[in-house]
Amino acid sequence: MDLSPVSRDILRPPAPMRLVLGSLALALLINLLPWSGWALIIRPDFVLLMLLYWVVHEPQNIGQTWGFALGLVMDVADSALLGQHALVYVVAIFLTELLRIRIRHLSVIEQALHMLGILFVAQLIYIGLNLSLGRDFAGFALVLAPLLGALLWMPLHFVATLPRFRRRGDTALL
Amino acid sequence: MAAYQDHFFTRGPSPLARLTFFSLFAVAVMIADHRFQALGVLRQGVSTLLTPVERALMWPGKVGRDIGDYFIAQEKLLDENKALNDKVLQLSAEGQRAQLIAAEQEHIAALNAANLRFNRKGVVAEIIRDARNPFARKIVINRGYADGIKLGSAVIDGNGVVGQVTAIGATSAEVTLTTEKDQSIPVMVIRPSRLTVPSAEPPSEAAATTTPATDTVSASQRTATTRERNERGGLRAVAVGSGRDGKIELPFIPVAADIQVGDTLVTSGVDGTYPAGLSVATVTVVDKNPAFSFARIVASPATAPDHHRFVKVLDTADASYPQVDPAIADRAGQEKSALSKREAKLDAKRALRDR
Repeated sequence: MDLSPVSRDILRPPAPMRLVLGSLALALLINLLPWSGWALIIRPDFVLLMLLYWVVHEPQNIGQTWGFALGLVMDVADSALLGQHALVYVVAIFLTELLRIRIRHLSVIEQALHMLGILFVAQLIYIGLNLSLGRDFAGFALVLAPLLGALLWMPLHFVATLPRFRRRGDTALL
Repeated sequence: MAAYQDHFFTRGPSPLARLTFFSLFAVAVMIADHRFQALGVLRQGVSTLLTPVERALMWPGKVGRDIGDYFIAQEKLLDENKALNDKVLQLSAEGQRAQLIAAEQEHIAALNAANLRFNRKGVVAEIIRDARNPFARKIVINRGYADGIKLGSAVIDGNGVVGQVTAIGATSAEVTLTTEKDQSIPVMVIRPSRLTVPSAEPPSEAAATTTPATDTVSASQRTATTRERNERGGLRAVAVGSGRDGKIELPFIPVAADIQVGDTLVTSGVDGTYPAGLSVATVTVVDKNPAFSFARIVASPATAPDHHRFVKVLDTADASYPQVDPAIADRAGQEKSALSKREAKLDAKRALRDR
């Protein structure tokens, strides 16, 4: 069938919820690894990245509610002030929701650039919140985290769109 | 199919409305957590769920480390053994002295029919990891309220105070280090060199430094009073973490205060959290600029919790504020004015003489 990108997108079957939740759980596990020192400072937030991916591709299922809930979990896990990650995730997801339609029809590299912007804003909010609490600035290496996150967007996009992760038999919908 | 169509066009509130709602909610949560510490239960619940997962995730790293340890163990053990032997020798001397002091203290306590100020019960815990937060100075230990740990308990190691328990899960707890920003701890300044060898400085030398021969008596008296003050533990202050590794600050110390580089800060015990006498830090920088009313004093903490694995959580539930006999308190109140007058007189005399 010859379809425009937009209609192809609309007609694509939804990803199975199992896959969505499984990938979010995996991202959470990666975040929960005992990161410390430099690795911790430049670690991209895998949970946020995975959330944004599903916001772009499954906006019906994953939105700000999930962001808020997982944000609270990350706050507890990172011994941070409760609500910090929640706010950051919610804002990032909002921005992604605004740019969603556009992002879906760009090439992967252009998508990654959009993600860089969003992740950067998220990181700025996170740093700003901590500085406003009187904490010391942890160094400019913090800027590397969104950069690495944007780079990770590309393999993430590639893996998650592999045909084997799509539900079989859903072509009936078309 | 039908279920899918049901919410094909119903999307709920707009993204902006949701953003507003959730951001306000997040800010409310932050305020509740920061100002009122109201969400301990939520934190405890989530951390109880997360802890086993985190433990499992540490397992591969631990196995790897164990294999690595196996190969370097021999050398490391020898080194460690040597260091420990040195320490045993060093401590045995101090220990004997401490025994004497403890015996004396017990005797005095018995005489006063007062309780010992704190009991030394506690729980030994292993440090699991640093908190995954580049903005905080916290560690996580493998004991929680299931092991009887309470919020606010003091945490120490072989060298001194590590910090204080600030969040508890079922089988884990967060310890905020003394270097965390604005983490404060009441301390007392002691000068170890004079404390350990008070007889090392001959009084004649002290007398020789002050010129007039007629003043010999008063000069030796003066050294005696300073020594006494040092033994008592001089200045009391509040040490505050700087938010940077290896740095504790002593704000609001007057420029004229008696404090030097190398002085030791020990807990004074006035807060009822930390038992008195635990070492906290050593003074490394004393910057007395008369242009400011307060000196800039920086100390480096006595412990480096990233270098070892075990700490002890003191059971401070029974630790109470230092008990003062009401009768004594009454008398102290009356004597205070007289005492301060006498001290002022003494100071004035000294000032005159020094001139």
